[in-house]
Amino acid sequence: MLTLTLKKEWLEGRREGRTLWLSCIVLVLLACALLSSWHSYQQVQVQKQQVEKSERERWLEQGGKDPHSAAHYGVYVVKPDTGLSVLDPGLTDYQGVVLRLEAHKRNETLFRGIQDAIQMQRFGNLSPAFILQTLLPLLIILFGFHSVAAERESGTLKQLLANGLCPKRFFIAKTLSIYGFALLFFVPLVLYILFTLVFGSSITAYRSALFLISYGVYILIWVLLTLVISSYSRTARSALISLLVVWASTCLFLPKLAIANAESKFPTPSSQIFLSKLESEIYTPERQQAITKFKQDTLDEFGVKSVDELPFAWSGAQLQFGEQYADKVFDRLFGQRQIQLDAQGFHYQSAGILSPFIALQAISMSAAATDLPHHVLFSNAGEKHRRLMQEILNGDLKENGLTKKSDGESYQGDHQLWERIPEFSYQYPPIDTLAKHYGRAAIYLVCWLVLLMFLACLAVQRIKNEGK
Amino acid sequence: MSNDDRVNVISVNHLSKRFAEYQAVDNISFTVKQGEILALLGPNGAGKTTTINCLLGFLKPESGRVTIAGIDPVVDVVAVRKQLAYIPEQVALYPKLSGQENLVYMSEVAGVEKSTAQFRLLLNEVNLPDYAIDKPVGSYSKGMRQKVGIAIALAKNAKALVLDEPTSGLDPSASHEFSELIQTLAKEGVAILMATHDLYRAQEDAHSVAIMNKGQLVHSLGGDAIKDAELESLYLQHVRAVSTC
Repeated sequence: MLTLTLKKEWLEGRREGRTLWLSCIVLVLLACALLSSWHSYQQVQVQKQQVEKSERERWLEQGGKDPHSAAHYGVYVVKPDTGLSVLDPGLTDYQGVVLRLEAHKRNETLFRGIQDAIQMQRFGNLSPAFILQTLLPLLIILFGFHSVAAERESGTLKQLLANGLCPKRFFIAKTLSIYGFALLFFVPLVLYILFTLVFGSSITAYRSALFLISYGVYILIWVLLTLVISSYSRTARSALISLLVVWASTCLFLPKLAIANAESKFPTPSSQIFLSKLESEIYTPERQQAITKFKQDTLDEFGVKSVDELPFAWSGAQLQFGEQYADKVFDRLFGQRQIQLDAQGFHYQSAGILSPFIALQAISMSAAATDLPHHVLFSNAGEKHRRLMQEILNGDLKENGLTKKSDGESYQGDHQLWERIPEFSYQYPPIDTLAKHYGRAAIYLVCWLVLLMFLACLAVQRIKNEGK
Repeated sequence: MSNDDRVNVISVNHLSKRFAEYQAVDNISFTVKQGEILALLGPNGAGKTTTINCLLGFLKPESGRVTIAGIDPVVDVVAVRKQLAYIPEQVALYPKLSGQENLVYMSEVAGVEKSTAQFRLLLNEVNLPDYAIDKPVGSYSKGMRQKVGIAIALAKNAKALVLDEPTSGLDPSASHEFSELIQTLAKEGVAILMATHDLYRAQEDAHSVAIMNKGQLVHSLGGDAIKDAELESLYLQHVRAVSTC
């Protein structure tokens, strides 16, 4: 029955011509998106490797310098990525890939793709994920809207039933034939993932499995949705209209609506306002008072009256105190902003119960490490590294700041000190440890599948009762 | 085997079916024996198609019972549909597929297993022109589509054949050809129920005739009485009689 239906659908589709052309167009689009995405990824990888190598050299070879000057000199660290970001670039273009670590400042990431994009590119990026999440469901609709409705309309369904057709097997065969057709679009993806798994190291089997399974479920959801609506529609035309309404609602309108709603419910300050708030909340009279108190406490502790009498360089201690004071403000303000961003993400993801597109988006970006939680992980790791760097440099200044060079010049750090700052190296944690960020979306996707399977059972019943 | 020895394949006993306030079929009974052709006559809305839908298991009788080869479709519709072939007024086929491809698909869906050559032979048996066999059905005439429909019924080796207005819209030659085909099937022992408006074909082909009007079976006749009867006057007489009641 399955082979028979597959053969029949294939023959009809081939002779129809339109479906074949549409499929070819989407397949070409997918191949183009994959190639261009892979090409950009390769270019970025080369640049990243060059930056990582030259940055370490730049840091180590900066020569003799006051440790605090070196802290301002700073280092640039590069955000890691997975090979899956070729398939789903997610928020990469909006988040930036390089972070500058320096004294007194917690910077935002730099080099955001969207800043370099020409005007036309801002209308939308053709990524493989966009094609699979948005265009493939449309193609499934165009391929399958008439599957049952047209058979009903033309009378072949009644004739098949009168001939002893088993509605359940008929529905399963239709499902598998459309699903099989849709899975053809997975071939380039699977080949790419296999290639990257075998020849690359930036992708893990778990992330790849999560990526492929979630897309497999998503496509099955659209196949079932198409067949269920087709089974309930009197005519193929009404089935097509209903399906296009569902597609536009879930893939276009609902995500926009959910984003707008999340932003209005949990507003976050603009980047400019946030940065000026950081400045204004760090350099306050309270900070000056805290430094004065710290100075007095230190003098009391060592039983001296002036910082010149301390057995270490006061400047190093004061700088570290200032850093720690600023760190608390960073933690508070970044923390507050993160709570709002998390709430926005949670609120947006909740719309996944109404749109499988939103649910898949969250899982896909998570698997590809191109979502906000992965960016925050990198940003936090960078900040941790920055604090360690300041601690070492300030500690060295505190310890050695009083020593003078033979020519009477003040203390300077050297290659040995620069080497004490470890090289920044960060890898994302295994995907299963991040389940809290995409688990809910995965549950929504499974709920959609279960609901559609239930509706499919009802649709089979309806086919069985055809003509009654 | 004499006429009396033949078993009833299609059996309708006190069948009634109502749609809301409309009594579509009202307590009708008839049988069609093995190798017999029964023509079910009646104007539009007489209840012929409703009766057929009850036989096919698409409709559940309000009261009474129908059976095909002794099986009640209400009890086991799958078993009934294995014993029965159905040809509607417009044989529904896939226009992009050829006659042969349609026959193969429709038959294999019904669980019929035959070789490609055997399927082709069936299309030859129903006189579908050779040049048409591999052409898309979308280019077929109505008569050719009906032939594919009969080939589907033949492939199934069904005990009963139900035809709903089979000759409507066919030209005289195609109608004659169609008549010959069902005569052949009847000779092979298939019980045939043919709902039709075509009084000429009914008189020529049927072994018995039943006239329905407003859901009721108003007259039936069989054997030589059909050939001797003025079927048109009889039909009009019964249809008008009930209409004026």
